[in-house]
Amino acid sequence: MTKQIELSGVNKYYGAFHALKNIELSIEKGRFVALVGPSGCGKSTLLRSLAGLESISTGDLKIAGELMNNVPPRKRDIAMVFQSYALYPHMTVEQNLTYSLRIRGVPKAQARKAAEEVAATTGLSQLLGRYPRELSGGQRQRVAMSRAIIRDPKAFLFDEPLSNLDAALRVHMRKEIRTLHDRLGATSVYVTHDQIEAMTMADHVVVMKDGVIEQQGAPLELYDRPANRFVAGFIGSPAMNFVPAMVGEDGRSLAVDVGEKQTIVLDRQLQPGRKVTAGLRPEHLHFVEPGQGVFRLPVGIVESTGSATYITTSTAAEVTIVETSRRQVRTGDIIDVSIRPADVHVFDDQTGLRI
Amino acid sequence: MSDTNRNRLMLVIALVMAAIYLFPLYWMFITALKSGSEMFATPPSFWPSEPQWGTYAFVWESRGMGRYLWNSLIIAFGSVTLITVLGVGCAYVLARYRNVWVDIGLFLILMLQVLPASLMITPIFVGFSQLGMLNYPRLAVIIAIAAKSMPFFVVLVRATFMAVPQELEEAALVDGNSRVGAFFNIVLPLARNGILVSAILIFMQAFGEFVYSKSIIQAVELQPASVGLNSFMGPNTNEWNNIMAYATIYVTPILALFVLLQRRIVSGLTSGAIK
Amino acid sequence: MALRHHHFLPEGVVFRANAPGSPVRSIGGPMKRLFSSIRDGNGFDIVLVAFPLGFLFLMAGLPLLYNILMSFQEVDMFSLGTFLRPFVGFKNYQELFAQPETWPILGNTAIFVIGSIAGQFLIGFGLALFFWVNFPGASWLRGLFLVSWVMPGLVVGAIWNWILSGDFGVLNFMLKETGIISGNIFWRSDPNYSLYAVIIANVWLGTAFNMILLSVGLASIPGDLYEAAELDGANAWQRFWTITLPMMRSTIGAIVSLGLIFTLQQFDLFAAITSGGPNNSSNVTQYWAWDLSFRQYDFAKGATISVIMIVFVMFASVVYVRSTRHEVRG
Repeated sequence: MTKQIELSGVNKYYGAFHALKNIELSIEKGRFVALVGPSGCGKSTLLRSLAGLESISTGDLKIAGELMNNVPPRKRDIAMVFQSYALYPHMTVEQNLTYSLRIRGVPKAQARKAAEEVAATTGLSQLLGRYPRELSGGQRQRVAMSRAIIRDPKAFLFDEPLSNLDAALRVHMRKEIRTLHDRLGATSVYVTHDQIEAMTMADHVVVMKDGVIEQQGAPLELYDRPANRFVAGFIGSPAMNFVPAMVGEDGRSLAVDVGEKQTIVLDRQLQPGRKVTAGLRPEHLHFVEPGQGVFRLPVGIVESTGSATYITTSTAAEVTIVETSRRQVRTGDIIDVSIRPADVHVFDDQTGLRI
Repeated sequence: MSDTNRNRLMLVIALVMAAIYLFPLYWMFITALKSGSEMFATPPSFWPSEPQWGTYAFVWESRGMGRYLWNSLIIAFGSVTLITVLGVGCAYVLARYRNVWVDIGLFLILMLQVLPASLMITPIFVGFSQLGMLNYPRLAVIIAIAAKSMPFFVVLVRATFMAVPQELEEAALVDGNSRVGAFFNIVLPLARNGILVSAILIFMQAFGEFVYSKSIIQAVELQPASVGLNSFMGPNTNEWNNIMAYATIYVTPILALFVLLQRRIVSGLTSGAIK
Repeated sequence: MALRHHHFLPEGVVFRANAPGSPVRSIGGPMKRLFSSIRDGNGFDIVLVAFPLGFLFLMAGLPLLYNILMSFQEVDMFSLGTFLRPFVGFKNYQELFAQPETWPILGNTAIFVIGSIAGQFLIGFGLALFFWVNFPGASWLRGLFLVSWVMPGLVVGAIWNWILSGDFGVLNFMLKETGIISGNIFWRSDPNYSLYAVIIANVWLGTAFNMILLSVGLASIPGDLYEAAELDGANAWQRFWTITLPMMRSTIGAIVSLGLIFTLQQFDLFAAITSGGPNNSSNVTQYWAWDLSFRQYDFAKGATISVIMIVFVMFASVVYVRSTRHEVRG
């Protein structure tokens, strides 16, 4: 598949601040890539660099094979959907859509026809004559996307487009955006701080922290095999439990320090006596019959949403467990919990890397 | 061009433009320092060859500037006091509510802001002379200036009050204050800076006021410096160095105030003037 | 709208903060309610507004009406002291428009207004755009320009009077040095130029104010609109034309109306530079009104011109009010 967007050895400095560190990223045509990470990780900077709204200090940026380092934004043929939508308030929806065409000198009739076509696909046909201030949040979102679609650009950039919407609308728009992407065969780069959005929408997820790409890959790959402690804790909700542990003499057992030290037998060999951090996902810890479990844990807080129960233990290292079986649990109960050896992640204490 | 270089270039251009724009001020200063003959030199000199510092003292004495400036101060302070006392409360109420009455009130005030002094002076003068107010000329001028400048003051101060969150006042009321108490203890101190800036703007205007002063005050010993300057500049005047010295002295308090408070003044204007 | 006064303390014990001594305790009945309303309720607001508005009505509204009244009367030095002067209907108006200088002066006023507003706006907009690009020191430097607006009008007039002097003024010198003119222009005494002399001074005076207000308007346009436009393919000029200008429409409307209002108020410059001469070549209606009353002692004519002008000014201010918005306190 052709590489639509390619970043190699990209660095960006704001004065002395190193915002992007040695970014290597390839995006193939037709893919949906999510850039996730906590605030300040550089994901928006990276996106804006793709658009040309920020310049890169070193490295190469290629779009559809052409070097774009010094090309101004308006020549890059890239469309962006802004967090605040950036709709032109003094223009109608139709004028917003046709703006890019009119700038390039496309005849009015042709531009209008294109606007009507795009509006039909995004459900805006009735709203073409309205002004942005008369529209709801979701409608404005769709206008922003339509404005991008009408240009048939080389790539779509999304800068946290759903963060201004309420939760229910967000879930709905997630699906709409992905559906549109598939229908158009577009190449999309999507920035969000919400890892659920990234996981559900993207073909390829890029996790960033402090200007560095911590890991990139398919969503499930990041979930199943996080490369380091940060990615493991970032992906998955509720977050993974991290507890100190020590590898046993035989190299196969792991003494986990949860309240009383409890031992898990692993399915792989590790260096004996090593001090590590064990990662246990809440959804992988499940109830077992008394006596059969790996852990016996005292219950601290119980929260039930109806579909699942979130149990937080009152041990020194708090552990969260997600249970879907509607078992009755109360504060102070002692519960027996187990986990499959394959689901135990082990990370080095110093580097945080996966072992 | 790199960012820092562009910034430096723009700064240089901006300084040049500022220098050009402020040139008349510079010209005023150095003309005051020129000797009588150097003033009329062709080409004009851009720096006095022998600065005549004595001109200032001479003008002060011979034109009785002390007295003129004193009158200007009286008129300016009187106007500001009257305007502040009346205007602050008015602005507070107009900022606090939004209903038909407030809209009417604001509209009327804006309308009144608009009337040129030179058109209002005719009925004001005639009216004052009928009431005998012309026997207290400076007081009459103070009242006239207050009426002229209060709308502007109310508009500016209203913007200040609008920036004080209503929740603070409501919290004070719940805590047991009366409306009067809440106003004086909570709202007013928070609006103090905006009120001060607006008052200073009004002071500057009143200090330089001319039309009312000239028309109402006939007695020379009661006239403010603006009228003094005007009478100095007869039709065939040519002692420009003295005139510029007079102007310099006159304008110094305002310039000092302005340089000290320039940023506050700009932000006060920008928040109030467009609304 | 005012919050009801809550009693968290036992009845009679009220947290009272510096209320100007109202003797509530010893007065009962309706007086007590009145004071209580003033201290605590709507009475407070009404008192705060009533006095200033009353004052303004007295000092601005009455003179307005008095102007209208006088324009229909015959006024001279002896009848200054009385109200009831001979009623002459529209005679003053008719005489005014029969005078040869009336229409030229009205024309001068139009030229003065248009020239001043154009100059102040164009230069002010240019400066605002320049400073809007923003660089270290921009905001501080920008404020410096305002000094022209806070100075007494008469001082500004005096300075420009000297700068515009025919033989010795520095403006002529610079114009000749740069080759723009060959001989001296007698700005103040040449009827062809005298009006423009005042216009130049007025432009200098008001440009900074325009610039500040325009800067505010420019800053209110969200930055990401420009980014979106740039991605859509617009270059700098197109962005200015399709985004900046349309979105500044209401600001520009407000500024032009304000400019009209302030320009029609300008008097000091005329008094300081040309006194309306020579031969009414630089006379404008607002100066003429004063001149009629206080130099020629024809108060009736002065009032008449005032009435005509006030109608214009009111019209401009309606436009100004329309293009500004009012917000509820935040």
